[in-house]
Amino acid sequence: MNLQMPTPTTVDLMVEKAVIDLGIPPCPVILKRFVTETRKEEPDYNRLSSIICADVSLSASLIKTANSPYFGTRQRVRSVNEALVILGLNIASRAVAGIILRKSFPTSPNMERFWDASSRFARLSGWLAQSFDSLGIPAEDAYTFGLFRDCGIPVLLKRLPSYSSVLNSANSEAKLDFTQVEDAVLPTNHAMVGCVLAQSWWLPEEICLAIRHHHDKSILSTTISPPPLFSRKLIAISQLAEHLVQQQLGLSLTQEWGKLGTTCLNLLDIDESQLEALTLEAAPLITANE
Amino acid sequence: MNSVDSLTGFLNRFGCFHTAMRLAAEATGNHQTFGVIWLDLDRFKQINESFGHLIGDEVIENLATRFRPCVFGRAEISRVGGDEFVLLAPGFNRDQAFQLAVELAGIVQEPLNIGSLTLRPTASIGVAIHEPNEDPLTLLERADHAMFAAKSKGGNNIVCSGDEPIPGRLGVTLAREELSIENTLHEALETGGFCLHYQPIIRADGTVEAVEALMRCKLNGENFSPMKFIPVAEKTGLIIRLGEFSLLQGAMHARALQDAGHETKVAINVSRAQLISPEFTRALHAALLCSNASPSLIELELTESLFMDISSTVQQNLKEIIATGVSLSIDDFGTGYSCLANLKDIPAQKLKLDRAFVTVLPEDHRALSVVQAVTQLGHALGMTIVAEGCENQQQIDVLLEAGVDAIQGFFYARPMPDKDLLPWLKQRSNKT
Repeated sequence: MNLQMPTPTTVDLMVEKAVIDLGIPPCPVILKRFVTETRKEEPDYNRLSSIICADVSLSASLIKTANSPYFGTRQRVRSVNEALVILGLNIASRAVAGIILRKSFPTSPNMERFWDASSRFARLSGWLAQSFDSLGIPAEDAYTFGLFRDCGIPVLLKRLPSYSSVLNSANSEAKLDFTQVEDAVLPTNHAMVGCVLAQSWWLPEEICLAIRHHHDKSILSTTISPPPLFSRKLIAISQLAEHLVQQQLGLSLTQEWGKLGTTCLNLLDIDESQLEALTLEAAPLITANE
Repeated sequence: MNSVDSLTGFLNRFGCFHTAMRLAAEATGNHQTFGVIWLDLDRFKQINESFGHLIGDEVIENLATRFRPCVFGRAEISRVGGDEFVLLAPGFNRDQAFQLAVELAGIVQEPLNIGSLTLRPTASIGVAIHEPNEDPLTLLERADHAMFAAKSKGGNNIVCSGDEPIPGRLGVTLAREELSIENTLHEALETGGFCLHYQPIIRADGTVEAVEALMRCKLNGENFSPMKFIPVAEKTGLIIRLGEFSLLQGAMHARALQDAGHETKVAINVSRAQLISPEFTRALHAALLCSNASPSLIELELTESLFMDISSTVQQNLKEIIATGVSLSIDDFGTGYSCLANLKDIPAQKLKLDRAFVTVLPEDHRALSVVQAVTQLGHALGMTIVAEGCENQQQIDVLLEAGVDAIQGFFYARPMPDKDLLPWLKQRSNKT
């Protein structure tokens, strides 16, 4: 037991319990410990492993993530220690955050589908960032953004009974921004809720800003900060990932590509022929049995 | 090749470069420094366009005549463009070069009479000091770059190479020192370096009126002063994130206290940047939803700088805040921008008297008169009056005598971490 680890205070635990009961997760102690260790000059892998191994399902999920075809490893990962080495600490800590985020919400078949989709976009986003390294977006940031991008949705579904129908309208809206549909009937929107949640989970500001603006066409096409170009590229990568997944799996749940696709391709400097090649290359990854 | 400028008799661009090469070689050989000063007149194009090139040439000739005695024996001067002069000063360090630049800026600003015209030109000046083995072209480029930085500050400015604003992580240009503060802010935000401490506000009857949430930043074991990081946070836009962090954390804490049996109002500071944003109430609702805190347990403290300009967005935000059930208080009232005329436009339920009126009590009778008058005014507007910065019993006595409703200060409690607040509240409620 590391004596230097912060011990959760009573109020900490109370906050965590109270809020988890309501379905809204504050930054968990296990993530704080993990991130604090990874930020050290010489992180101790054994200590990191023991933090993860304290939670069996977290360990299993991390190993599964490391074995995902998106991370391009041929060798089968069997232990948390190996997973940390294969993924690298940056991706590993983001993956841990994503897994805990998912676990923090109550399980239901709808939620499972939601998180499966988020994980898929996230992994494909990471792969896209790697494929276009000239964009200067680290794969772990694209991956994290994909995981957290829509985390405001489960919060709103949990808290506002009317949100389900608002979500359906926003998904099928072909002209207005997604969040404009939400703002017309709600006091806030999933992008803002997701941003506030991501801030409290210590995500980098560029990712928080990308979450806040990921449906905002006018901001996506501007050249003036904020948000920084980095955030806009993150948005473009994730929208492309979502489009590729929806296209490949024959799903067309949203109208986002129709509204934002051209702007995203411009931001990523990809033309139609490159998009075609990319679609072919990404197909086996999307359909691979994970 | 000719190395002299025909208009001024100074070196031209070619002569300048050759001299720079020679001085760089000498400086390296003798282990000495040498300075480059790049001066560009502001709005010279306008002079040429408005009065013609002949007048423009006269301006240059006049300035050249003025520069000559100033630089004689100190630097080699050259004219490298229509309105650009470069000075190469052997042996000069940064301070000496900066001093010479200040003298040149003064010379340029002296009124210039040409015929019936009186012109008052200004210049943007860049300064760079040769580094060991530095290629002279790079050195000249650095001075030119610094000059551009001076120009982008609006002209009539001097910038030393290395001090130019550089885009930070969020794309906002910052000076070098600010950049390092921005990096520290990002690091603290990504490692949980920020937290809230809470300072109780006590009513006249001894019960707790509220607790004020105060932001603290600690990184690698060291406290990081808000005085240092708030200006950079404001410049980069990170102030919004800090404000939203406080909103969510403060609201979550209010909820946790309520669950522990203490219905204690948490007062959260809101920055001007947040309140002038049309997104503010969406962020507030997001924090309320995420925390599930009762809005009646949240109070927003508005800084007095808000009085500067109450725009329609701010008014709309204030209206929407009140509609959520969250209450408002005006912080640091009585100093700075406080304006009585605007007091009626802010639907606040609480007025917090600035500590400046409190720390001088009980001796300062004039301060006490202000406290009494503001208290009366506040009460007439239906507000609760809080005095900040109370440190002793005598102050509390005169404040309560003056009609103040609640007291905040070290006398009752210093700001404390969240883990200490609950035991403190329990102890307090046992006492009362």
